[in-house]
Amino acid sequence: MNRNQKIKNTVPYIAMTAPAVLLFLIFFVIPLFFTIRYSFYNWTNYSPDITFSGLSNYVKIPEDKMLKTSIKNSLLFATATVVIQSVITMPIAVVLNSKLRGRNIFRAIFFMPVVMSTLVVGYLWKYLLSSSDYGFVNQIITGLGFEKINFFGNGNVAMWTIILVEVWQWFGWAMVIYLGNLQNISGDLFEAASVDGANAWDRFWHIIVPGLAPAIKINVVTGMINGLKVFDIIVATTNGGPAHRTETILTSMYSKFSDGNFGYASAYGTVFLVVAMIVACILLGGFKKWEERLGQ
Amino acid sequence: MGGAVRTMRDNKKKKFTLAATYIFLTVIAVAMLIPIYYLLVTTFKTPEHAAVAPMALPSSLDFSGYIKAFEEMEYPRAFRNTFLITLISVTGIVLFSSMAGYVLNRKSDKKAGQLVFLLLLSGMMFPYQMSILGLYKLIRGLNLMNSLWSVILVDITINLPFAVFLMRSYMATVPMELDEAAKIDGAGVFRTFTTIIFPLMKPTIATVAILNTLNVWNDFMGPLYFLQSRKKDVILQEIYRNIGQFSTDWTGIFPMMVLGIMPLMIFYLFMQKYIISGVMAGSVKG
Repeated sequence: MNRNQKIKNTVPYIAMTAPAVLLFLIFFVIPLFFTIRYSFYNWTNYSPDITFSGLSNYVKIPEDKMLKTSIKNSLLFATATVVIQSVITMPIAVVLNSKLRGRNIFRAIFFMPVVMSTLVVGYLWKYLLSSSDYGFVNQIITGLGFEKINFFGNGNVAMWTIILVEVWQWFGWAMVIYLGNLQNISGDLFEAASVDGANAWDRFWHIIVPGLAPAIKINVVTGMINGLKVFDIIVATTNGGPAHRTETILTSMYSKFSDGNFGYASAYGTVFLVVAMIVACILLGGFKKWEERLGQ
Repeated sequence: MGGAVRTMRDNKKKKFTLAATYIFLTVIAVAMLIPIYYLLVTTFKTPEHAAVAPMALPSSLDFSGYIKAFEEMEYPRAFRNTFLITLISVTGIVLFSSMAGYVLNRKSDKKAGQLVFLLLLSGMMFPYQMSILGLYKLIRGLNLMNSLWSVILVDITINLPFAVFLMRSYMATVPMELDEAAKIDGAGVFRTFTTIIFPLMKPTIATVAILNTLNVWNDFMGPLYFLQSRKKDVILQEIYRNIGQFSTDWTGIFPMMVLGIMPLMIFYLFMQKYIISGVMAGSVKG
């Protein structure tokens, strides 16, 4: 095959990957470098000039309380939702994988909140959990003789309230990922285990959990990365309040952005990028080890 | 005799377990449905009625709240914007990811094929939201602010990596012999793809299309940054704008929330089976 022929043969392959690669380079890679670059610039909405300012944006960061709170909150939110979701979902998925009458209806109901937009889910729960006289949940709580809980107004409980609302919306998603994986575990394995006289608990730990390793990996890795990006639900419920107690990475960045401090917001973005990368590395490393151990 | 007693006892135990399972599942189902029920019935109530009897059925089906919400949200326009963004983005994602997935599977033995795949895969690990300021700068530079294309291009790009990943994994199940047979018949690469391969990719195309319809339709942050003119905004921004303004007017707000989730809810009610099996299929590939 001569050289021209070879080039002619590769052209269609290149042409077919080009749209994806070009879009990715333009709208993903370039913005990444832009953000890092402008974090070293004085760039605001108030002046047309964008001037190099060295490390001045970063110098402010160690004293920035909001930044620390938002990193802490995002990490807490991501970890808590992933852990709570997995604990609740795995047994439900196992039950709904068995030949149970009506299992499709249960699956459909559990998955339903996933298609509701997170913003609307946030508003809906804000009203359900309201501490005004209208709040349905507080009506029950006071009806039972307890004191009202200020779910979103009390800085000590607000973050956990948001976490539970998130779990309410998304556990159906995690459940379906586990279900997809369970269908791949052969029924023979279950039977072999019950012949061996393994009880339900042993079966769960020694067959189901290792068998679910791929789904656990997807749920934990994507759950953590999505958790770090939490935004809509905060905007709808607390908007970062009370007193910035529920501020997260993206809400604090958005507030710097809407203040017009674009350069400083870029520095926020760069710091968060580093946090996200560290989390991703820890997760992938951890799962690699676990998979190696299971592989033995 | 003893055996019969044991089976009876086992049966009893089984029945008990089954009953407990159903109770457990029903409790969760109720916890899922009550908020949705509350959302629906409150749209027909006065604030006073909603406060006194939150779980009661409405006394009459008064749609005036919906009509008001429909007008205040400028619903037809907002719907049109959301719909166009979703339609064009999902079409783009399906086309570009199926082509790239095909090539990257067939060329997975080549260095270039592996490198391009790794590059795209990195998009799944770096959240684009962290670099949204750079993206904002770029969109402004390209003069795309307040153009639906800004959100369309961004939504296509950020959803491509996972879509390419799914398509590429699926291509591994489509035999290479098909390509070779087509080549002998004189079909070029592109024709082979459009006439033979693409139709075979239907199951993954459905998964990718469904997942991304949910993703793009429910994207709030992209429009919030790039569609700041009201004429160009999407349904979620209308909800955000209006609820921010009148957050004490409960009966005004609930119809807006229902109007906001209704299109996807209808989509879900009809496509529920495919949506759930689509997500399942996607996870298996992962």
